[in-house]
Amino acid sequence: MSDSVIVVGITLVYLAAVLWVGLRARNQESSSLEGYVAGGRHVGVVILFFILGAEIFSAFAFLGAPGWAYQHGSPGFYILAYLSLVPITIWALGPRVAKLGRERGYLTQGDMIADHYRSKPLGILAGVIGVLALVPYLTIQIAGAGLLFQAATDGLVPFWLGALLAFLVVAAYVFASGLSGIGWTNLMQGIMMIAIAWFLGLTIPERLYGGVGEMFAQLQQAAPEYLTMPGATDMSWGYFSTAVLVSAFGGAMWPHLFMKFYSADSGESLRKVSVFYPLYAYLLVPLLFIGFAGILVFADEPLARADTVLLRMVMDVANFSPWVIGLMLSGALAAAMSTGANLAHTAAVVLVRDVFGPTVMKGASEKASVSATRWSVLGLSLIAYLFALINPASLVMLLLGAYGLLVQLFPMVIGALFFPRLRRASVMLGALVGSVAYLLMEFVWSSPLGWHAGVWAILLNLLVVAVSQHFSQPAAQGPSLASRHH
Amino acid sequence: MNKTYHLLTGLHFAVCTLAMIWPGALIANRIEPTVLGLPFLFFWYILWMLVLFVGMWIAFVVRHGGGRHE
Repeated sequence: MSDSVIVVGITLVYLAAVLWVGLRARNQESSSLEGYVAGGRHVGVVILFFILGAEIFSAFAFLGAPGWAYQHGSPGFYILAYLSLVPITIWALGPRVAKLGRERGYLTQGDMIADHYRSKPLGILAGVIGVLALVPYLTIQIAGAGLLFQAATDGLVPFWLGALLAFLVVAAYVFASGLSGIGWTNLMQGIMMIAIAWFLGLTIPERLYGGVGEMFAQLQQAAPEYLTMPGATDMSWGYFSTAVLVSAFGGAMWPHLFMKFYSADSGESLRKVSVFYPLYAYLLVPLLFIGFAGILVFADEPLARADTVLLRMVMDVANFSPWVIGLMLSGALAAAMSTGANLAHTAAVVLVRDVFGPTVMKGASEKASVSATRWSVLGLSLIAYLFALINPASLVMLLLGAYGLLVQLFPMVIGALFFPRLRRASVMLGALVGSVAYLLMEFVWSSPLGWHAGVWAILLNLLVVAVSQHFSQPAAQGPSLASRHH
Repeated sequence: MNKTYHLLTGLHFAVCTLAMIWPGALIANRIEPTVLGLPFLFFWYILWMLVLFVGMWIAFVVRHGGGRHE
């Protein structure tokens, strides 16, 4: 019992520190729209690095990466591969998005799409899909925080209270300080995660096997199938490869990632961030060690849920003191909260600017928009919290579905950035066909060749765009007409 | 920036991507030789993350120089 009290005490101190940093980050800019949403478009390299890191590095990575290594073995490198490849998209798209945003005042994806294709409904649609994807994603972070609290404190802090505590802190500093609060807390939580992950990842194999090399040597004797593809669960190269591609290159369509391009102080900064980004992905290496360490430990009694392997290893197997368990809980909460802050912030911005802006809040003042965004942060966090309490399984379906649709915006966004000749009708038709195909493959049929459905859908999408572009007559729309010359 | 620069950068990205999925990762799909105590396939991913970083770093320096200017 007293052990749990120590764990709770350490974690509460950590939460208080995050709250303090987040609230202190509030500055005069936090009250302007550009300041609240995009940090006044002058966020520098270091903060940007940790924001973009935290966004991708969620509770899923912290608990899921060891879970994959434990359950599948080598297919867990999927997470390593896609996180390291994300910076390619940042490098290629980021500077252009930042420049257009600065010139034309964009703050969201919907802004850019609606303006470039001269279609307000298209911007609203992008906004609705964005919110539909972001809220379940936020719910998963909140539920993750609740589960972590409950497990690490042996139930002293129940699920509902743990989830509430973590997300009251997040909602408070996002409400007050906007992107500036997110930036400074992401810096702090990123450092926390890296330190905890390496400490645990090296200590656990040391205690149980006498070192990382020794651990893999024993695995090679007892369970070599985990150490190469297709792993212990027979994952095909086709699925592995296409899943890496969809996650790595489709990921930039997530509004919370995409919108951060607008907040960069320069395209050069975005490139510098992408250069160092693969180093952030190294954080997964020690987490994978923990998963591999679990394979032999739980060989006789496999865990019911693979993503609890980190918790079980730290709490039951490695015999750590409550101080370490408290730090582990803080590090894992950092992963959930730093991503959750970005999700709540982005969902609120998208809801107010893309969905309410052209409809119920037409012609609202900047002050009213900032205020509506702030309250939406609280409202959406509350909705996500309630979802987490009810915990409907359909939420994962909603997340999968909405994310699949987000990826289908890819040709539309690329068109707006690099190919002004692409016509509205073509990209809309492509996105429509791609979306329908994705939903059918994900939820009705199975995907051909066992590939990730997102890859087929985007190929179909591109094909439709190309065909439509070739055969349809150029209509009189958009700035693209001037640049046509055939 | 000229065409060669973009071609080389694109090539670097393509090679790093293909090294981490099919077919690139096929050639590394083995346990021996272990490097730094890691099975070879694990080491392969760590290696290519480093290659990606170094290549992008070079591309960055070529484009923007070392200092803070346009």
